[in-house]
Amino acid sequence: MAEHKIKPSIPRNSLIWLLIAQVLVILPLLWHVPLWIIGLWLVCAAWRIQVFRMRMQFPKAIVKVAMMVSAAFAVYLSRGSLVGLDAGVALLLTAFVLKLVELRSKRDALVLIYLGFFTVVTSYLFDDSILAAGYSLLSVTALLAALVGLQQTVLTGRPGKTVTQAAAILLQAIPVALLLFLFFPRLDPLWVLPAPKDKGVTGISDHMSPGDIAELSQSSELVFRASFTGEIPTQNQLYWRALTLPYFDGRTWHMQNMTSDLLAPEWQAQGDMLEYSVIMQPSSRTWLYSLAVSQTEQKDIRLMNDFRLQHNTPIHRTYLYQARAWPEALAEPKLSPEKYRFYLQLPHKVNPQARAWAQQLRQSYPDDESLVRAVLRTFNQGEYFYTLKPPRLGKHSVDEFLFATQTGFCEHYSSSMTFVLRAAGIPARVVTGYQGGEVNRAENYVQVRQYDAHSWVEYWRLGFGWHRVDPTFQVAPERIEQGLQEALRGESLNTGLLSPLSYRHINWINQLRISWDTLNYTWQKNVLGYQAERQKNWLKGLLGEISWQRIGVGLVITIALLFALISLWLFKPWQTRLSETQRLLKQFERLLAKRQYKREPAEGLRAFQARIQADLSPPQRMALDAFVHSYEQNEYANVPVPAVQLKQQLQTLRHSLAGR
Amino acid sequence: MSAWRHWLAAWWSRRLPAQTRVKLGQKHIFIVPTMAGYAFAAALLLMLMVAINYQNSLAYALTFLLASVGLLSILHTWRNLAGLQLIGLPAEACFVGENARFPIRLQATRRTYQAIGLGWLRQKMLVTDVAKHSEQQVELSLAVKRRGKHSAERIRVETRFPLGIWVAWSQVDLAQSVLVYPKPIEAPLELAGVAAGEDAVEGLATAGRGVDDYQGLEAWQQGDSLRRVNWKAWSKGQGLWIKQFAELKGAQTQLNFSALGGDVEYRLSVLCAQVLKLTQQETPFSLQLLEQTIGPGTGAAHQAECLTALALFAGAEHG
Repeated sequence: MAEHKIKPSIPRNSLIWLLIAQVLVILPLLWHVPLWIIGLWLVCAAWRIQVFRMRMQFPKAIVKVAMMVSAAFAVYLSRGSLVGLDAGVALLLTAFVLKLVELRSKRDALVLIYLGFFTVVTSYLFDDSILAAGYSLLSVTALLAALVGLQQTVLTGRPGKTVTQAAAILLQAIPVALLLFLFFPRLDPLWVLPAPKDKGVTGISDHMSPGDIAELSQSSELVFRASFTGEIPTQNQLYWRALTLPYFDGRTWHMQNMTSDLLAPEWQAQGDMLEYSVIMQPSSRTWLYSLAVSQTEQKDIRLMNDFRLQHNTPIHRTYLYQARAWPEALAEPKLSPEKYRFYLQLPHKVNPQARAWAQQLRQSYPDDESLVRAVLRTFNQGEYFYTLKPPRLGKHSVDEFLFATQTGFCEHYSSSMTFVLRAAGIPARVVTGYQGGEVNRAENYVQVRQYDAHSWVEYWRLGFGWHRVDPTFQVAPERIEQGLQEALRGESLNTGLLSPLSYRHINWINQLRISWDTLNYTWQKNVLGYQAERQKNWLKGLLGEISWQRIGVGLVITIALLFALISLWLFKPWQTRLSETQRLLKQFERLLAKRQYKREPAEGLRAFQARIQADLSPPQRMALDAFVHSYEQNEYANVPVPAVQLKQQLQTLRHSLAGR
Repeated sequence: MSAWRHWLAAWWSRRLPAQTRVKLGQKHIFIVPTMAGYAFAAALLLMLMVAINYQNSLAYALTFLLASVGLLSILHTWRNLAGLQLIGLPAEACFVGENARFPIRLQATRRTYQAIGLGWLRQKMLVTDVAKHSEQQVELSLAVKRRGKHSAERIRVETRFPLGIWVAWSQVDLAQSVLVYPKPIEAPLELAGVAAGEDAVEGLATAGRGVDDYQGLEAWQQGDSLRRVNWKAWSKGQGLWIKQFAELKGAQTQLNFSALGGDVEYRLSVLCAQVLKLTQQETPFSLQLLEQTIGPGTGAAHQAECLTALALFAGAEHG
């Protein structure tokens, strides 16, 4: 008899899925947690399996406490803290692993499964790519299978069947989940939580020394993608501004925080307007990438005094923002005396040659604009070279570059030009960011990678405001027009053997790469980027007016309707639900109907039997009588007859009829 | 408290009156979240907090997916009970101190029912599966302390399948009852007041089934001794037949309630033991319970009649 008393112990089926789910859940987090957790998992899993095979005991309380304490200590040693997201996740994971050895009752298993779901959620904080999302569905299915297995009787445990059931429920849940995802209001963060620690996040930093940007261009990591409502501007228009670096210490340009930074800058929109949106990868920085001069309506972004866009918190997740830019805007036509002086700042006693050259230029060109042109002309016509691997520079870096080595990357050019302009009495600053990007025609967006990092110069004239000049363009125009790949044809970019970027010249690989990139873009834009702002826009487009009350009511009604649909499909009320005996009666009628004995709709079973009996042979009559008798006993006399018996009697009848 | 219990019992019997067969349907099934369900909701809330605070779309998505799974499992749990047919089978009589066993047959429809729990209220449950188009028989046992006819309590039938976060349940009364015989107490025959001899002599009785004189064959009944089966006939495929003998003893054994000492229950218990013993020895006897006389006779049917009379004996106060 397939029955047993409920024991709180865990069915084997559930245990199997629990172990599988644990591996699946832990795997993607391994890059972010100390590696000894693998060892801990192996020990705990082996222990638990031995307990299941009755070869070992559960650990005693004292052992458990010791394990907990030493695990926490190990986390502290390898993470340097017990607070913060990284340490938190490491702790969560050790708890998730250690729980395994005290997995006795169904309740323990339940705790483990719920911890598993939570761990999957935390893994999204580290990686929210389309692959990670797809993978996590496997973990969730395995966890659900463990949950289903927990409810099964021990005897039905077949792991394959359990996971099918779990997957079926998961699939059926998708429509409602989708509705909730679209319509559930995205709230502002309720409190600030520790952010993931940045592991080797490369990118523009708040200072720039010679060689910094050249180093950045070794990376093919994605920085952001930008799409435009209209045509994508030409490459030489795409100067993605990140930061301005106004302060020079003789070698390095620094960002400097000033109180005036927070004041909205003075500017006037003029010329054409560009509308664009950017989806950026996590940078752990507050600055965003924009075309000057940009404006946005997002309330967590502000336009800083140096015309950069800044988010009010560091960007730790894929972030989407929309902006409008006026490339020909008049930017800060008037400069306060104090800022005027600030943008002329230079360290003393460095680069005497450059200073002298600046004085010389000033004397020849009293007009600022012609002086700037003269500097650019020098770069253009002099023996200057553009290279990723410039020679090292000493103390007077600008002098050495301008008059001795004459080879450098963009930062050398922008840095020395800013120096010369300042020395000549023209307010100027270095701007860093990205230039250009790869255009994806299918989805009409520009993709900017780390190797598109660039720096250029802005100088100021009274009444005309800030004006952008790019000395690199004078040396290597193809860098600006076609991108770095073309500019450095001689020097190979170190994209790596495995990177598809290394195989751009092979057409189908390139196509595949671009399609994959398009998919990622769509994912980031429509799924990851679906936050408050986008949701509002989308709902406005769909419903016109946004009223959360009405959306709430509508959501509940729609979900109820969906449930009605799903339950129709689950219960199939159009199928008549016969009991086993009634089903056998139907078979009985069909069997006799084949022999031309059709039971009339209102004909009682007895009457039917009496009607056809005369035609039958004695054994047939007996078999018929046995079935009818059992059926009546069962249905009307309340003497339950096992269905097996009825089935057998039907079988006998069938045989006897066939034997005629 | 007890008034409340009564009211509740009355409510149940109004809503779901006693029936031998019950097909669980809309009016029978209730569904509520379990403790695990509340914990599940709490875990989801925590996940939602993470989603909100980190503004992580995937965390939102997983939270909503699991919430949707949780809601959906209402339907699945409910479906795992709906349509299941419970049939209360007649319970076999037992003795005081034994467990009365109530057989229940579970009939599935075209669906397989998994992890169906059955049990008395506030007691451990039996868990069983019922495969589609099949039936499954289980037995619920109940310790009985008093003789007589006992009705079974309402049976709780529940399931938490598939996720354990909801429990769909019902309480059905399958109109089952059990006859409980007195607990047999062995006592020496002389003390037991077997009135054999003088006043019981009724001449040569040949009515009862005996062991002495072969009279013919009779169909085998449950409880008949296998020693008297006509195995020759059985081996020829003619069924089980009992060789009948007539008892030729001059004296009849009579068990008399009034002839015994001790309190009523004790006397019934002693009589019970004697009935069992005499039947086993295949000695014809009659049973005298105040005005009621059973027998003389022997065999399973006679034994059942005697034991039933003992179980239902009501003239206790006057005896």
